[in-house]
Amino acid sequence: MSKGMGASRRRTFLGGALAATAGLVAAPAILRAAPSGKPVRVGGTLSLTGFLAQTAVIHKIASEIMVEEINSRDGFLGRPVEFILLDDQSKPDVARSLYEKLITVDKVDLIQGPYATAPILAAMGVAQRYGKVMIQSSMGIPKLQTYDMAFPATPFGPEPDKSYPNVILDAMATLSPAPKTMVVLTSKFPSAQFMAQGMRVEAEKRGVKVPLYLEYEAGNRDFGAIAARVKEANADFLWVGSLGLESNQILEALRKLDYKPKNSFHLYPAPGPLALSPDGNLVWSSTFLEPDEPFMSRPGMKKIAELYKERATKANLPYPIIDAQAAGMVSEWQILEQGVNGAKSLEDKQIAAWLKKNVVTTIYGPTKFDGLYNHGAPAQLIRQVQNKEWKVVWPKDLAAPGVKLIGG
Amino acid sequence: MSVANTIPKAAAVLGIVAFAILPTAGLPAFYDSFFYLVFFWVSLATSWALLSGFAGYFSLGHAAFFGVGMYTTATLTTKADVPFLATVPVAAAMAALLGVGIGAVVFRMKRLRGELFALLTLAVTFVVATIILNTPIDGGAGVFMSAVPMPHIMPTQTGTIYVLGFLMCLATLGITWWVAHSRLGMGLFAIHDDEDVAEAKGVPTFRYKLIAFALSAGIAGAVGGIHAMYVGFLTVGGTFELTVPLYVVLMSVLGGSRHWFGPAVGATVITALLYAFISGGEAMVGRAVVALVLILAILWLPDGVVPAVKAWLKRRQRPVEEKHHAEVIPVVPEGPRTIGTRHILEVRGAAKRFGGLQALGGVDLDVREGEILGLVGPNGSGKTTLINVISGFYPLSGGTIAVDGVQIGNLPAHEIARRGVARTYQIPRPFVNMSVLDNVTMAATFGGPLRNQSEIRDEALHWIGFTGLAGKEQALPAELNLHERKFLELARALAARPKLLLLDEVLSGLNPAEVDNAIRLVRAIRAQGATIVFVEHLMRAMVELSDRVAVLNEGKLFALGAPREIMRDPRVVSIYLGKAYAA
Amino acid sequence: MMPSATLLGQALISGVLAGGMYGLLALGLSLSWGLLRLVNLSHFALAFLAAYLTYEMGTTYHIDPWWSVLLIVPAMFAIGLVQHWIFDRFKVNELASLLITFSFAVMLEVGIQLYWTADYRRFETHYATWSIKAGPFYIPVLELILCLVAGVLAWGTWLWLRKTYVGKALRASAEDADIAAAYGVDHKKLAYLLSGLGAAYAGVAGTFIALIATLAPAQIWAWLGVVFAVVIIGRLGNPLGALFAGMLIGASESIAMAILSPAWAPVVSFSVLIAILLWDPEWS
Repeated sequence: MSKGMGASRRRTFLGGALAATAGLVAAPAILRAAPSGKPVRVGGTLSLTGFLAQTAVIHKIASEIMVEEINSRDGFLGRPVEFILLDDQSKPDVARSLYEKLITVDKVDLIQGPYATAPILAAMGVAQRYGKVMIQSSMGIPKLQTYDMAFPATPFGPEPDKSYPNVILDAMATLSPAPKTMVVLTSKFPSAQFMAQGMRVEAEKRGVKVPLYLEYEAGNRDFGAIAARVKEANADFLWVGSLGLESNQILEALRKLDYKPKNSFHLYPAPGPLALSPDGNLVWSSTFLEPDEPFMSRPGMKKIAELYKERATKANLPYPIIDAQAAGMVSEWQILEQGVNGAKSLEDKQIAAWLKKNVVTTIYGPTKFDGLYNHGAPAQLIRQVQNKEWKVVWPKDLAAPGVKLIGG
Repeated sequence: MSVANTIPKAAAVLGIVAFAILPTAGLPAFYDSFFYLVFFWVSLATSWALLSGFAGYFSLGHAAFFGVGMYTTATLTTKADVPFLATVPVAAAMAALLGVGIGAVVFRMKRLRGELFALLTLAVTFVVATIILNTPIDGGAGVFMSAVPMPHIMPTQTGTIYVLGFLMCLATLGITWWVAHSRLGMGLFAIHDDEDVAEAKGVPTFRYKLIAFALSAGIAGAVGGIHAMYVGFLTVGGTFELTVPLYVVLMSVLGGSRHWFGPAVGATVITALLYAFISGGEAMVGRAVVALVLILAILWLPDGVVPAVKAWLKRRQRPVEEKHHAEVIPVVPEGPRTIGTRHILEVRGAAKRFGGLQALGGVDLDVREGEILGLVGPNGSGKTTLINVISGFYPLSGGTIAVDGVQIGNLPAHEIARRGVARTYQIPRPFVNMSVLDNVTMAATFGGPLRNQSEIRDEALHWIGFTGLAGKEQALPAELNLHERKFLELARALAARPKLLLLDEVLSGLNPAEVDNAIRLVRAIRAQGATIVFVEHLMRAMVELSDRVAVLNEGKLFALGAPREIMRDPRVVSIYLGKAYAA
Repeated sequence: MMPSATLLGQALISGVLAGGMYGLLALGLSLSWGLLRLVNLSHFALAFLAAYLTYEMGTTYHIDPWWSVLLIVPAMFAIGLVQHWIFDRFKVNELASLLITFSFAVMLEVGIQLYWTADYRRFETHYATWSIKAGPFYIPVLELILCLVAGVLAWGTWLWLRKTYVGKALRASAEDADIAAAYGVDHKKLAYLLSGLGAAYAGVAGTFIALIATLAPAQIWAWLGVVFAVVIIGRLGNPLGALFAGMLIGASESIAMAILSPAWAPVVSFSVLIAILLWDPEWS
């Protein structure tokens, strides 16, 4: 394919058809290497409407940026990439039928995974039946990924419920005084509850007592009584398996009781509102990267971060800064790009085989898929709100320059 | 008529065959899934309509039954290794059990208001969801069913799912068609319009509602069982979503929830619409467009698409002269009075209390076979209450009532109706959504002796003709005037072939000519051998019609005797006109 | 483990005050359902529209909610009038009103998502977390104000319905429109007024939602179940009942969260509903 590049470049200039696909790509990029020929069609769904829609738009923007990026390079095997995005309405049954549509009606060459556990599992079943490689970035329970051609784009590691709590406990151990007790509070959202149960077990293994473990219903409205229980338990550390704005609500409810937990950790909060909240100062959260060094010097990261900021602002997103959510989608496309170009094939089996054998460089760094459930090593980090901004603080070697974990 | 019947039948057969062979047509597998989802929504919406559309008990709890079915299958297949297909009947049974359980409690409540039922079922959904969320059934982690083997009905998995959905849908539509055309359906439609009247006409309302609830919930449970396999990963949040009951309602109402095929049409339209806007760029706008289409449809087709289409077809059809008038001439010669010696009605010490109010304070009354007994008394003397306790609308507080030697005092109203007691209402209470013919047919079906359908139809036409309503068979009650509606009440009562006919002020509100007409009619009824107890204020009619008159005052039998004597009795006059006048 | 008295007391206080929000949301719903026989599902969407407007004015134009509410409430009142015009023009019944307002709510949800995106929004104010210390207990100020506002609105509406001629006519016409005609009152005009009022109350509720709760388009549906329960427990068309029922549900949920696993809380509130309805079927 690469041999035919000269000819294909000419065809691009002559035939205007591809201008649409490559429309937003800067001219110099086209001159460097313009993919040409019949587009490679990649299909996928996102929950653009419905109760999971909060994050879909982030993934959509990241996808658009990445498709343009890939097309500004060599596309897939020299052919331009076209992304067919459908709306699964936050419903797994719809997600399933749409992946069937993409594969059997639209006959896409490749697929890209949806967002959130339930749609991912629905799509995974379809992918398995048709032998398609499926890359997904947001399934927090790796053991559910039972299909051998499904690949995680986010480095949770095979057992994040065991590995990540220990990262947190390591960080806690550096505080002085080191917390001896911990309240674990979690939403009954599957991926949050999964981590909370692991946190409780690992904490007690390492001698941190858990005097209070509470599960609340996902979508809980009032946190007054829960806050009163947290305050009464008065542990050294508060671990919250929260989603969306639950963390803001819990911290506000605690403040109304004139109580501020000394240190608190929040699993999957909405990053913007928590960073800007007066109660958010110095809280911890999980992440895989932030737009800082050392991550910004990873190849392509700076440009992607800038583009993301620009598009997200234009789309009126309240928090237009790239974080693990958007980065997951970036990583999905990086993996697919390297898989296709590495295997020199659009055949799913060959792509999968190549991915399992090789190291892929993603926005998260060098990534392998040779472990349990196709996961590589875990790389979940800790970030902390400092001066209303999220900064990676742990592990130390990945902390932003000059930034240290600050105890409360 | 035969052509009009064969076309839909042929279309139905063709449709079934077409859908049955569709998986072999080599269409892309997506269509298996898409049609499965259409079947899924058709089954779910139709099952909702079985209770909520037919009987009018509006449920917002369909997600509960559906969800119980889903979790039954999920639990049995993943935790007990039961083969998937074997779990589907269990899923149906569990959901039906929940439905019957709810029904057994709430349907005992007198005057259960519609919105209350809706809220109760909604509340049950939240309770069931919370229990499943907090117990090992789910526990919050979700149930992943990928390891459950799919049966090999078809070569592909989507083909199998398609076939299961198709069979489910076919069974649901079959059951619903059968219900709509059966005695059960007729009873449910009557319950929808006026439950008290339905009960008084002999419909075992409690049992019918429970059966409808069990069917509705059971189908939803089976649909859920299959859907668990389709979805593969269950979460409480995704299963007990509010959109399930709302969509089901929307689909049924859009299509027409009182017609067996209405929900199917609504479900197909809405599912297709939802898939019309799936592309990423237009998803949001598409959602708004679907909502707008629904608003317009509901505003302009309030009864639903199917009834609207039917009405339109009916208007287009040239009126065919159908021979459905009764042969019977309504004029029946008055025979000699043959009053038997047998007591058709024996009331002993009948008492009725409402809280502290004694409406009936121990009434004794015998009515002989073939007799017309007039029941008079001032307002609040207990006349209508007596009618209501005899017909079983109110349970007795004390005493006994026997009809033709059988104790009926503590029987539910429909049992009393079956034992030959029919009544009319002072203000006519026809079933408003049923034609005149259906109103009378219904009464003949539930009230009279067991007969086949054509006998019942003839009987109904006979009484429609008898009461002079011939030609109005297909009219809805709203198209009748008061006079005609009163006669419809009579036709309904007569169609039940009662041993005892209770008439509550049939003459009130009629003009003099109409009163004459009605008196003739009552005579004609009596001439056929019926025993009649009638409440009346109009003295002329009382004197002309009754063999004996019973006077009630303050809930007690005050006087009893021949009409002219009673009317002259100063005590009777005094209670009517005040003591001063009598003195 | 036995919860302490402080914990129970604090849970009760937060629960009752949080229940004020249920009551405030239930208020408008109860009026239109009880007195106009219209089930307005879009009530929640209107409240969220008001909440987003409060957020927008607060963050973009720095208008304090206490001022923006003066703009929002009349706007909501107008929307209520337009809605009622549709109901009136097409003689919409109870069932159809449910479906039409559901569709309307979906359209509003889409509109909100198109303008504000589906991402979470949070309106920060410096007074959102103020509270008063009373002995061992803390009373959150914002929720207290909410309850006072809800109380004034509920009580005022109750008085209006109970004591004035117009109010009595309205209540009578809910039973039978002909009786209302006998009162010599223009029922149609009153129905418009009531619809507008219901929507205006959604506007007030929305202002507090912006200050207290999560803003995301799908959250429109999060309040539906519990608020419906509150409307029924409070008896249809009874504004004070709606408020007290809201507080009762809020308190029972809160106590349940304090002594059981918090995830069991919905069982408690809905069991209260079921128990009440079974105890007295004529309740609503």
